[in-house]
Formats: sequence, C-alpha cells, structure tokens
Amino acid sequence: MTSPFFSHPDLSRFDPLSRIICYDDFDQGLQGWTALIGNYEDSLDSILPGFRDLRPPMLSNASFWDTGTAGSAMGNYAMKLATRPEAGSLAVGIKRLTFRHKGPIRLETYFTFKPEAQALRLSDTDMGSIGVLFDLQDEQHRVMPHLRYLNAADGQLHQQWQFKRHRVPVESIGGTGQTVSHFHLSSEDWENVPGGRQKLCYNEIATKQNWYYLRVGFDLSSMAFTEFQCNDHHFDVTALAPMMMPAMANLWCMLNIAFWAEAAKDCRSFLYVDSVLLSGDF
Amino acid sequence: MRQSYTAVIERNIWWQGVSATEPYEAAWAQEALFFIRVLEQRHVQVPISFQVQISPDGMHWCNEGSVLLIDPDVGVTFARVKHFGGWLRLQGEIPPEAALKVLVYINLKE
Repeated sequence: MTSPFFSHPDLSRFDPLSRIICYDDFDQGLQGWTALIGNYEDSLDSILPGFRDLRPPMLSNASFWDTGTAGSAMGNYAMKLATRPEAGSLAVGIKRLTFRHKGPIRLETYFTFKPEAQALRLSDTDMGSIGVLFDLQDEQHRVMPHLRYLNAADGQLHQQWQFKRHRVPVESIGGTGQTVSHFHLSSEDWENVPGGRQKLCYNEIATKQNWYYLRVGFDLSSMAFTEFQCNDHHFDVTALAPMMMPAMANLWCMLNIAFWAEAAKDCRSFLYVDSVLLSGDF
Repeated sequence: MRQSYTAVIERNIWWQGVSATEPYEAAWAQEALFFIRVLEQRHVQVPISFQVQISPDGMHWCNEGSVLLIDPDVGVTFARVKHFGGWLRLQGEIPPEAALKVLVYINLKE
C-alpha cells in the first residue's frame, strides 16, 4: 500500500511509522531543540567535567567563505551543532518528550557534517564524530541507545558506525542525595557496529557538503534496536545494545532524542541537521 | 508570531586575557541582545569593554561598533545589535591579573 505521506511535499522523503510524534523542519526555527547541561546542585561547579561545556545548537544557513550560502537539504536553515576548536569538545542538541505507548519508534533525519574551513586543504580528518541517542525510561530501567559515526581520530580516518553499551558509574552530585549524573557521551567504550564501516560523501573540500539520510528504530517494549540505516546501508542490529541502568526517581516515560558533534583536533567540528521526524506505531 | 531564541554561549567559565565568545550564527534574526552576568571576579577595578563583532564567514571578524561595558559591580550588562548579517560574537581583553567568571547569553529575534 502506498504510504499516505508520499504525496506530502515535506514528508515524502521520510518513511514514518503510523503516527508522527514530532516533525521538526529547522526552516521553521529550532522547534524545541535546546542545549544539554549536566545535573547540578547548589553550584554549576558541581556539574561533572564532561557536561560543563557542551556547546548549544544554532540555526545555520550553511554559508562558506568561498561560495556563500549553501542552505539546507530542503530549504535554507539547519540546526547546527558547533564544537569549540579543541580536541574532544562536544556540541549537543536535545529534545525532551515522553512516550504514551511502549511500542516501536523510528527516528529519521537528513544531516551532514564538516570541519570548519580554516585550512585550504581536504581536512577530512579534522572532523571527529557525530552521534544520535535516545534517552528512555520505563518502570524498571533507564535505557540509553547511543550510535555514533566515528569519522576520524588521531589523524586517521575511521568512517565507522559505533554503539555503546558499557557506561561509566553513576555519581552523586551535591550533598542532598537527590541528584546523580553520569557522562554517557565519553569517548570510551564505543564498540564497532558489525559491518558498520561506511564511506560517506565528504566531497573534496571543507566547504562542500552533501546531505545524508539516517534512520534508527527502537522498540520501547523490548528496549532493543529494531533498525539502523544510513543512506543505502542497512546495518544488522542484532548485536547492538543500549546502555542500561536501574530506573531513576523522576524520569518516568522519558523519551529524549539528541544529536552531537565531537571535535577530533583543535578545529571546530560542525553537524548540520536539516530536519527530524520521530514516529511511532500506536 | 516572531521566532526568538536564547542561547547560553558561555556558562560558568573564567575569562582571562584576550577572550571571545564562540561564533554564533544569527542570519535568521533581525535583532540581538548580548547579556553578560558576572558570577565572580578577581582584581577587576574598572569596567571592561567588550566589542560586538560581525563576520562574513564565522572566521574573520571586525568590530560592529556596539560595546558592552562589564561593570563588575553590576550583576548583568547588555549590548543591543541590529543589521549584523550572519555571525555574531563578543571579543575583549581582561587586564593582567584580573579575571571574570561569566554567563553569556545571546537573545535573537526575527
């Protein structure tokens, strides 16, 4: 049967499940996407170090010094996540929802990434990684499926999709015992997605960017990955697993989605997100 | 309804010496306000000037003309900007031996 979405000029490039939970086209603004901060109590100094300087999202029309404005995949503006020019710097955009049904969900997006065009060179190893996560909680567990595309590290191209199931310990923040935190975006404990090496369309110099399609499926009932696709690559998800921990005190039915960029070198790394569609079967 | 967005572009960081905020894209907006909230200070005796800067590419910067004067005795100070093109940042110099711990906001509106 032909999808009812195929005739919609904006939605025909997506394959949503039966219900659209949210559709964010960044030509319409930042649409509820905001910065991520670590938990704190009494003082911002209590934030875990990794969470202290996550850079905030902005709207970009993708303008470059040599060619001017490129615009986004289907319009003019994209959500841009820009790191500092420091190796390991992270920029994160997050949207916070809750779920009304424990069933399959599907996240789709059109995205691209580039390093800042500071050098008149290929610069393809300047861009570290980009990633996508869900942050979920049911009656028993907080569940955090994380996927990233490791473009480069230590000056070497990796071009490898990775997932993360092992996590650092949860730490208590402040003195009341009410606040905890753990830095789930740390660069440790990433594992390769089986068959997850993928060459994307970097395109010759730092100021040309082509847009990619990404799809991540997850089942809120079984709390397992159901699908993972980037462009024409469909990855086997049977070996993938999320980070899991006991349910926390005030996160019931949480459904957060987030994207991030990480710098590989002392050069800004940019992730651009044209649009995001989150759908579910209910 | 007009779009608006507030970003916290520096949070709880110490500025020493020549300091600048990260480039922030704002081509969609017609007006901007920078706010600086001083959380702590060391040896700041006089108000410190920060320049609003604009850029054609997010990498090369010039003064826009607006100045934000950080008075350590005043909790929050601001600068108002219009007609700024694609990028905005603040740039200034903290005197030797002095330091400011700041929160910096950019508030954009269509």
